[in-house]
Amino acid sequence: MDNGLKLGVFLCDCGGTLSKVTDFSAIKAKLQKLSDVTYVGISHDLCLKRAQQAMQKDIKDKGINRVVVAACSPELHENDFMNVVQSAGVNRHLLSMANIREQCFWAHPDKGKAAKKAMTQIGMAINRARFLEPVEQTQISVNKDVLVIGGGITGIQAAIELSNLNLKTTLVEKEATLGGKLNRFANLYPVQVSPEEVLATKLKQVAESQNIYVLTSAELIDVSGEVGNFSARIKRGNGEFVRNFGAIIFATGYTTQFSSQIYGLELSNNIITQSQLEEMLKSSSEVKQIPKSVCFVTDISDEHSRVSPLSALRNALGIKEKFRGEVCVLCQNLKVDGAGLEKLYRDCRNKGVLFIKFDNSPRISKQDGKIKIEVEDVLMSGEQVTLPCDLLVVEETSVPPLDSKVLGSTLYMGLDAQGFYQENNVHLYPTASNREGIFFAGNCHADLDLMQALTDASNVALSAYQLLAQGKIAVEAEKVMVDPNKCRFCLTCIRACPHHAIQEAKVNHEKMVAQIADLACQGCGICAVVCPAKAIKPKDWSDEQILAEFELLGEYV
Amino acid sequence: MANESVLVIGGGVAGVSSALKLAENGFQVYLVERGPIIGGQAAVFCCKATETCSQCSVCLVPEKILEVAANSQISLVVNSEVVGISGGIGDFKVDLLQKPGFVDPEKCIACGICTELCPCEPQKGIYLPFPETAPRTYIIDKNQCLRFKGAECNVCQDNCPAGAIDFEQKPKELEVSAVIVATGFEVFDAREKGLLGYGRYSNVLTGLDLERIFATGDSVTLPSSGECPRNIAFIQCVGSRDEYIGNGYCSQVCCKYAMRFAKLLQYQNPEAKVTIFYIDLQTAGKGFGEFYKECKETIRFVRGIPVEVCKLSPNELEVKYEDLTKGKITKESYDLVVLSVGTAPRKDSWDLARVLGINLGDYGFFDTQDTLDSSRTNVNGIFLAGTCQGPRDIPESIAHGIQAASKVIQTLTARAI
Repeated sequence: MDNGLKLGVFLCDCGGTLSKVTDFSAIKAKLQKLSDVTYVGISHDLCLKRAQQAMQKDIKDKGINRVVVAACSPELHENDFMNVVQSAGVNRHLLSMANIREQCFWAHPDKGKAAKKAMTQIGMAINRARFLEPVEQTQISVNKDVLVIGGGITGIQAAIELSNLNLKTTLVEKEATLGGKLNRFANLYPVQVSPEEVLATKLKQVAESQNIYVLTSAELIDVSGEVGNFSARIKRGNGEFVRNFGAIIFATGYTTQFSSQIYGLELSNNIITQSQLEEMLKSSSEVKQIPKSVCFVTDISDEHSRVSPLSALRNALGIKEKFRGEVCVLCQNLKVDGAGLEKLYRDCRNKGVLFIKFDNSPRISKQDGKIKIEVEDVLMSGEQVTLPCDLLVVEETSVPPLDSKVLGSTLYMGLDAQGFYQENNVHLYPTASNREGIFFAGNCHADLDLMQALTDASNVALSAYQLLAQGKIAVEAEKVMVDPNKCRFCLTCIRACPHHAIQEAKVNHEKMVAQIADLACQGCGICAVVCPAKAIKPKDWSDEQILAEFELLGEYV
Repeated sequence: MANESVLVIGGGVAGVSSALKLAENGFQVYLVERGPIIGGQAAVFCCKATETCSQCSVCLVPEKILEVAANSQISLVVNSEVVGISGGIGDFKVDLLQKPGFVDPEKCIACGICTELCPCEPQKGIYLPFPETAPRTYIIDKNQCLRFKGAECNVCQDNCPAGAIDFEQKPKELEVSAVIVATGFEVFDAREKGLLGYGRYSNVLTGLDLERIFATGDSVTLPSSGECPRNIAFIQCVGSRDEYIGNGYCSQVCCKYAMRFAKLLQYQNPEAKVTIFYIDLQTAGKGFGEFYKECKETIRFVRGIPVEVCKLSPNELEVKYEDLTKGKITKESYDLVVLSVGTAPRKDSWDLARVLGINLGDYGFFDTQDTLDSSRTNVNGIFLAGTCQGPRDIPESIAHGIQAASKVIQTLTARAI
């Protein structure tokens, strides 16, 4: 029966190392007997250019239209082989691989069993290859404008860097002015520039840029569409309007909150939060009653946050400079794992700030309007220390702003346990969201100090540039496709898709079906698994391909 | 701006990240590495997963190496150092001194004939260091190769079918538009803290030693007896937060790796007792707080850094520290002591700083010109990436590498207009 299939099998013995444990010519002889197998070749180094050029020539000369490679892990060179297949004029998806190195010869000491398993693996790959389908590459044109949500330092910096990269950027801030926490901080230690100065420089750059459009007192309400062509609904005052963007960057930052339950204290005129202290230091000339002794107590409600201990260090020094007086910082572990923080800590000590470490939370009481702190100082053999003070500064924990949480869930973006944005992959793509074209920068997704947040801004700017700068994105069309005749539009796939890549569409102006956006789809295949009507098919791993593989696996087992 | 080329100095994880980002955005990149292969220090670190991933990020490194190897926009220039630079942004001329690596990676087909024929025994003088190297090339080990012992041996050169071996490689000159410096760090030499016994007692190891032992897939045994360690002490901040030796900074990686190693050692031997001596635990970072809570269940944490480690018997070390709960000097015995060594600036940064005309800052890391831009140097067109600028962990080095790439593209874009 002529089905038009011409299979070419390329074996690699990894520089001869695998030939020592099995007889490749025997494998070759067996494979040559299989139906549709037109060519079987053995190479020592398929990973190298020369062997790949030979492979390309063999595919062309022998008219091969399905390629099977039996070599090392596809993780290492699958993409190279796809390129070879493509350059030989065959669709790059008509390639099937068997990992006979890591998954077979390296793993099994028994040579006989390993040879049998390798043969089965190659057979499975051949069976799969019979059912492979081509996936065509297309290009989709994209909108090159970028939307940045949040006009704090991270958002401003991202906008400036995007503008340096020649991308038009709209910067949306819900408050009436840009700057976020720069407007509230009294200093930026260990950075030796004042927040006012930083803000002024950055705002000047924003104003001078032709590429940045600032929208203050504005909020993002909703986003539809997908990467390259998002439509953002923005509310400003009583009006609402829609703008189109190619990518969206969230830099919504964090907000702080004080838990009086954990402290067992209510705020008062001499028990204040770190933010209230910032305000006091910011307008220090107006402070009537200058506190003679100030205590910071941190590491009680959140031991592992960077925000509160850093705030204590910055403002301890701030108080020493502006009010003088006694300053004492009580903490469990001082966080100094950031640029310049150890130096800041030493500066504080040199200026006379006292640091007391505790393992058991201090007891805080009020006596005649004065505050009394009792603590076991672990550096003094747990000796009980009593500290009276004029002003107690309690720590705040950083939490996501409510509206950014709401926005996150409206846009189908993942949130972590604290409600901050969850990165797609903490290691690999620390600024990418689960949705293609939506990025995070700064403290809205991680606990960062200023310099780290600025690094984040640089990173997202480059990500957006890389995505949009060409004005078009290459994409594999319909690598996962919905059969409109089978789809019952039950919405299961739409709910299951982690990347929000599936939307509703109408066929012939009447029947509603699910439709997968090629740009947003990451090809994970979850929709195909959950579809009760079996209407969704990932072309690289269709049911036919997997069943054909299993057929041989069944014989082996 | 298209077709412009950029030089990245240093093939560690930061340099590799810069190079990849630049290449992905259409730049020609020369990645210059002093050693024979890229990957840097993190390439020899180990995975610290137990049943679960402990998020050490070491696995990102081989992945990036392979990406570089597959990227035709990146030219690897190994065994080379920058010895001179002239011109400015847009047209730097860079002189490279190529130390003879002797095997040309572009010609080597990795056939293995050279290793087979090499007369050096038992360790060959030419070999492939590990399978996933980039460039995929055999290297000549000068400690073994007979030529470097004065003999007139040409066996490999005469028999190489690809003509890849050349003992007379010449210096190169590159023309590039911008330069990224990503020369990395040095691990603090624990022998400088003599009282802690490293280099004197075989059962005192450093964090780096543990990385290497675990990376080879071995389990950790006592160097003195070959037995499995049962009572282990980690000493934090060795070479960090220490103004007396001139390192007044936190290395930012040691608390995390020590806790991960402690968990790994207990995973290997659930009976093993582990104590960590510390000043302040650095537990900030997504998800790390939870990991620390788990650690507290099985690991003893003691505040205070021991002053001295002594040897009681071949398999017994004595750690002397001040017990802060009692206010007394206390001695405890352990069979293995691990010194959590930190990151230090490279001692040869001074040479490169002089060649490039860039400034060194606090403690000997490269200095940034702009307090809010940690990639910018005092020379327009030369940028910094990774731990050569200050201590960073792997994900942060990657992010900083990408930041440097971003700044290069921004600067060159501005020039093009």
